[in-house]
Amino acid sequence: MTNAATSDYVEPRFDEVNRDILRTMLETGRGYWILLGTTVTVAAGGFFAPWFYQIHVGVGAAGMNRSAVWGTYLSNFIFWIGLSHSGTLLSAVLHITQSSWRKAIYRSAEAMTLFSLMTAAMFVMVHVGRVWFVHWSFPIPNEMELWPNFRSPLMFDVMAITTYLTASSIFIYMGSVPDFAAVRDNSTGLRRNLYTIFSFGWRGTDREWFTLGWAYTVFAVFVIPLAVSVHSIVSWDFALSIVPGLHHTSFAPYFVCGAIYSGTAGIVTVMYLIRRFLGLERYIRALHLDNLGKLLIVLSLIWTYINVLEIVTTLFGGSSYELEALKFRLFDFYGPLYWGMILFCAFVPLLMINRKIRTNWNKMLIISILINIGMLTERFIIIATSLPRKFLPDSFGFYFPSWIEISITIASFAVFATLFLIFIKWVPCVSIYEVKETLTPLRRARK
Amino acid sequence: MTNSVLGLFKYEDEFLEAAGRMKESGFHEITLMSPIPVHGVEEVLGKKKRIIRYFAYAGAVIGFTCGFALAVFSALSFILPVGGRPIITIPPFLIIAYEFTIFMGVIFTLVGFHVASGLPAWRDRAYTMESNVDRFAVAVACTDQTAAEAERLFRELGADDIKRVEAEI
Repeated sequence: MTNAATSDYVEPRFDEVNRDILRTMLETGRGYWILLGTTVTVAAGGFFAPWFYQIHVGVGAAGMNRSAVWGTYLSNFIFWIGLSHSGTLLSAVLHITQSSWRKAIYRSAEAMTLFSLMTAAMFVMVHVGRVWFVHWSFPIPNEMELWPNFRSPLMFDVMAITTYLTASSIFIYMGSVPDFAAVRDNSTGLRRNLYTIFSFGWRGTDREWFTLGWAYTVFAVFVIPLAVSVHSIVSWDFALSIVPGLHHTSFAPYFVCGAIYSGTAGIVTVMYLIRRFLGLERYIRALHLDNLGKLLIVLSLIWTYINVLEIVTTLFGGSSYELEALKFRLFDFYGPLYWGMILFCAFVPLLMINRKIRTNWNKMLIISILINIGMLTERFIIIATSLPRKFLPDSFGFYFPSWIEISITIASFAVFATLFLIFIKWVPCVSIYEVKETLTPLRRARK
Repeated sequence: MTNSVLGLFKYEDEFLEAAGRMKESGFHEITLMSPIPVHGVEEVLGKKKRIIRYFAYAGAVIGFTCGFALAVFSALSFILPVGGRPIITIPPFLIIAYEFTIFMGVIFTLVGFHVASGLPAWRDRAYTMESNVDRFAVAVACTDQTAAEAERLFRELGADDIKRVEAEI
């Protein structure tokens, strides 16, 4: 199916928009339950069971060791934080710039943000080992008068992610209020009562629309610098150390760019699945794919540029530690992973220059998945090739993930999928009112 | 006892025109309901107050102050000297202040939304479900005496449907 923008596209009517989108929530087939059952089982068996085992025997069950004190858990944390970036950030930027093509895809993209963030937060808890002490990272008054050290980038991270999670939740909730009212009007019984509460009694009055418009724009203005700061701060977890291979000034833009890149690829994957399995072909169209494809090409070029920059500045700098770290990254044990990442994230996306590929859903699905495999690898390489090998060769170590880490990594996708599957039955995955806004205005001239 | 009369219109422009005409005819309490935000409402019903931005500013200022104060307070409560560096270190504390600025800004904007929109609604108000699907509704506050006049005007203005509702707008 090529899905190019075709002239035979028939615009849906307002009532059809309500019917088509609410149907995805209110009608649930057997396939949904089978899929949900599968993801819950994989999440329980692959993520939570190994995690509980690790809690039981101690964090030594993971492959981390004395020199490699950070491992796959933190590389996954960066990956999921990164994946969260495009949703809210892209939605906010496109809202401010009044790009109407965002309207059909932003709700799911924002949901992706929320659930990626939750998955990322879970990885922090898995990583810290003694998860029951995780509240120590928050500034909570306690009898020992101990406070977090706010000079540490890890504390910046706690604050940034808490803020991002709060802001993203509010952002998606506020944008959904008019649609909750639509669900309310189409339901009976308990569901109606619940959505009456969720929608705050929304009626779509001029005052409500006006206030929502302002609030939404203000949220967007807050969220844009926040999203940039979140991944910059994540990068400082590494770059503010003096570890060779991590101590780069370019890390903040590198991480932000990588985050938006993987997040945009994630949106393409999610859009494919929603469109295909929820029957939303009329709303998520080749136009969206085309625009996301163009964005991916730009992001891929920026990402490639920063990668080249990292190598060139290291060679230019001439620091023996940095050169050794670079040599290990490019040509040693993890060299094939590095070049695989370059292939998936720098070369494969160039295929999208061809419009036929860019507007083909199946090809774009494959490209988007390859990009995210590349980005997952990138985060792993950053940690696995730098931290175990610092300055003194006699203290060099090696890191390879244990089966527990590998299982938790793979099953984290099931955790994300479970959250997303629950979401699509509670919130319309395409914004009803914003899709209506993109349709030809209902004016008397059309009579 | 009639509290309000709703005129339902199929087209956006008809609906705006009707709202203007109802206002000119002496119905001053008018609420418009629509499935999408409609541009041009302020030209018809007058400017609305943009109070949300004040909430956002206030939240941002309070957040910045609280964030910075928290970082300073923590540093002074549990003094952790590192290599002779200052206890109150401005650059990292500014990052904490920055995050708090956004955090409180967002929370205050949320509060501002509820204050400005009058939501959540604690009592029943005039409403018709069609206005959340594909109809544009003009609701006017009426008594039993003025309801007939409102209905006549709506009919003249080409309303698709007219409803009397026993709830305030």
